[in-house]
Amino acid sequence: MITAAAALGDEAYGAAIRQQLEETTGHKCSIGALYTTIERLENKGLLKTWMGEATPQRGGRAKRMVRVTPKGVLAAKNFYDAVIRVSRGASWVPRTGSAG
Amino acid sequence: MTSLKWSCVELVAHLLERGEREAALGDLAEARESVWNALLGIVGLGVRRQVLLWKSWRPWLAGFGIAVPSSFLLMGVSVSVSWSYQRLLCPELLKAASLTSSSGLLVLLWQALLLIGWAWSGGFVVGSTSRRTLGVSALLCYAPCLFCLSRFRVESMSRLCLLLFLAPAIWGVRQGLRIARLNPWLAFALAFAVTVLMIPLWSVAHGSWKVSQMNLSWALSLPAWYLAMTSLKPAQVTARN
Repeated sequence: MITAAAALGDEAYGAAIRQQLEETTGHKCSIGALYTTIERLENKGLLKTWMGEATPQRGGRAKRMVRVTPKGVLAAKNFYDAVIRVSRGASWVPRTGSAG
Repeated sequence: MTSLKWSCVELVAHLLERGEREAALGDLAEARESVWNALLGIVGLGVRRQVLLWKSWRPWLAGFGIAVPSSFLLMGVSVSVSWSYQRLLCPELLKAASLTSSSGLLVLLWQALLLIGWAWSGGFVVGSTSRRTLGVSALLCYAPCLFCLSRFRVESMSRLCLLLFLAPAIWGVRQGLRIARLNPWLAFALAFAVTVLMIPLWSVAHGSWKVSQMNLSWALSLPAWYLAMTSLKPAQVTARN
């Protein structure tokens, strides 16, 4: 979620994040899962949300815009580093050329 | 979005808060979801929201800790107030209770004040502790009322006498929704006033009835003391949900 929001930058809002997640993972993402996760991450201070502008293709309804906070960037980086560390040596991780 | 089916989706979306409703319906329209998928999405979000709310102790306190038991007990107090009023209008009944008109009026005022204090503080706690589950708390309050209304059989009294407590309770809920937390001085004054008003209740009862009267009156006074205790806590602790 944080990575999707960060990749979208200023264009990060509910529908765009949902589309990004579905395209990247290949799995459906429900509105319920999306918004409850956004709220949980916002309560932890990892995301900041606010109501944006309305557009005609949305039936004149406002967007819920999302921005990753510096704390969210740090949490995502720590999580990524942890995944890399625990995955080291796993059969599905491509081996990089070893020295010597 | 103007079709009847979408109107159903919009109606169901009232389960959600305004901002979230706007964003979710807009996202569904933008993604060109089918009506069925949109309906499932909105219902799913509403259910998840409710489940998350009920993970906290607050809705349980408001609904099952206060709304249900207080409704039962306050209906009993409402009948007592109504009975005192009837007695005041009938000299024979006053004489049978060894009361004069002025002492009968005093008893009525005392019981009415106690009813207002108990019902208002209970309503305030329900309104302030869990505003997003207020609908469920209201249902949990009305269920005992309907149960008792269907079984109340006293010829000289209207069934509506059971519901005297509702007016101060609803007033308390509205205040609780508005201000969330009482000023500590006011909260302690209310708790002490309710406790002092309870004392004559114990003095007129005897034996095992006295013990049960004491327990019931303390149970009804707990919301007032809860308000007093929480008024001392920092604002962010009581302003959630």
